Amino acid sequence: MGTATGIIRALNSGIKHIAMKRFTLRYPEEKLKFVGDGYQFDPSTGVGIAGLKGRHMLFHDHCTGCQLCSIACEGVAEAIAMVKVPEEQKHNKKSIMPQIDYGKCVFCGLCVDACPFYALYMTNDYELSSFSKEGLIYTPAQLQVKPYVAQDSEIQISDRGATHG
Amino acid sequence: MTFKLPPGLALQKVDERIMTLNVGPQHPGSGHMRLIVQIDGDYIVACDPDPGYVHRGEEKMAEYRNYILNIPHLERPVIHDSCNVLYPYVLGAEEIIGIEVSERAKYVRVIASELNRCIYIMYWLAIYGIFLGHSTMFMWPAGDRELLIDLMEKITGARVTHAYFVPGGVRNDLPPNFEDVCLRQVNYFEKRIKEYAAIFYDNPILIARTRDTGVLSRQDAIRYGTTGSVLRASGVDYDLRVKEPYDVYEELDVHTNVMKEGDSYARSKIPWLDMLESCNIIRQALQKIPKSGSVRTKLKPNPKGKGLDSVYKRVESGRGSLGCYIVSDGKVEPYRVKLSVPSFRNLIALPNLLRGEKLGNMPSVYWSLNYWPVEADR
Repeated sequence: MGTATGIIRALNSGIKHIAMKRFTLRYPEEKLKFVGDGYQFDPSTGVGIAGLKGRHMLFHDHCTGCQLCSIACEGVAEAIAMVKVPEEQKHNKKSIMPQIDYGKCVFCGLCVDACPFYALYMTNDYELSSFSKEGLIYTPAQLQVKPYVAQDSEIQISDRGATHG
Repeated sequence: MTFKLPPGLALQKVDERIMTLNVGPQHPGSGHMRLIVQIDGDYIVACDPDPGYVHRGEEKMAEYRNYILNIPHLERPVIHDSCNVLYPYVLGAEEIIGIEVSERAKYVRVIASELNRCIYIMYWLAIYGIFLGHSTMFMWPAGDRELLIDLMEKITGARVTHAYFVPGGVRNDLPPNFEDVCLRQVNYFEKRIKEYAAIFYDNPILIARTRDTGVLSRQDAIRYGTTGSVLRASGVDYDLRVKEPYDVYEELDVHTNVMKEGDSYARSKIPWLDMLESCNIIRQALQKIPKSGSVRTKLKPNPKGKGLDSVYKRVESGRGSLGCYIVSDGKVEPYRVKLSVPSFRNLIALPNLLRGEKLGNMPSVYWSLNYWPVEADR
């Protein structure tokens, strides 16, 4: 193949893409859809349930304050600290619950694997930015809140290329 | 006692024609490392790679954590290829702890590691394109990589650093209806990367820049101990997925891509051919995967080895043979974890490849070695 033919073929390959659809996710307006409600773990079978490893969610009525999540995190990120919860909140006998520092968390989900009481799950919420370091520390009361997520973009493939529909 | 300065810091008596040039560590053409290059005009006389700027002490850290908690940090050396980096460690830990892995988990692992290999190679290819000043080849792989990252996100819940493999299988099963989505996106991905041939690999400008530069002969490739795409580009038919099949690779039909030239062009084309082969493997694995069954064998809370034991396992990663040597003394933590990484072995060939080359060819020769600085430093 001659040099000129090769260059024309390369240019032609690029020019064809003018007619292709845009494969860019316009982030704040569009958000990717994930499978499930976040990463969860079933201690009875020992297998997790697929989902995004985002911000945690803590079920206060299930948490016994056993500290297994904190022990699991010690070798990874040291993000989980057990804190006293106020008397008026529904709490366990030890009245301690995990508090998670998202400035340190690496979202590996090993704390979820460690919880034997179905108390700690992960959710689809990944927008955790804050103006201060203290704002990234989530107390047990904040972790109790189920996040609101509006994620509906999925990759769609057509003859004119892939798009985030 | 004499104190010897590290290379590059000591004053060197140089010829008045020869200039010493430090490329890096803060240079876009070298990554997180320094190349001490001696040049005569435009030609490289000698090159001394100086890695070690991103040393993290992964091996020492592994001695203080148990077999499960080692997982998140041992995949950090190559975050784009995190499943393959973790693979030998997990295979070794399984042998030390003494657990069996179910058939379905093995297939899920193969799918995840092949997807990861493509993700890594696409990132590598994007940087190779921008090193050569080919901006389209930077934008296309960086965009098409999203198809596979989306699949990995569906399986593992994270876009990079998945922490997915564990001793005993994988952490969660494939999501419902995954086979169809995976097949559709992998088929489209394969169609896309075939388009790279016209714009990049058959492009006369790329061929003029990379053909016959940095030629590594077959004998030298074996003598220096290079692995992976560098070895296969020099005409050695060596792929661990075929030669030493681990997990279920022996049940799959894996074709090894070999080129004879041993120059930068061959070294840049072999990973692209590997991606096409990975698409084939994923399709085969999706067909043969058992439809049901557990994916994780239950472990005791603190798994430990049975007395003094050592194991060496290796897998074919995106860069070549990646080994992990684990010594256990019967405690909860491993006594020693040693990673034998392909990047460092491929780097050994660099001084010999660059001797006599033009300085302008340095980035293309250097990056064609499929080198990842963080992995070499561990």
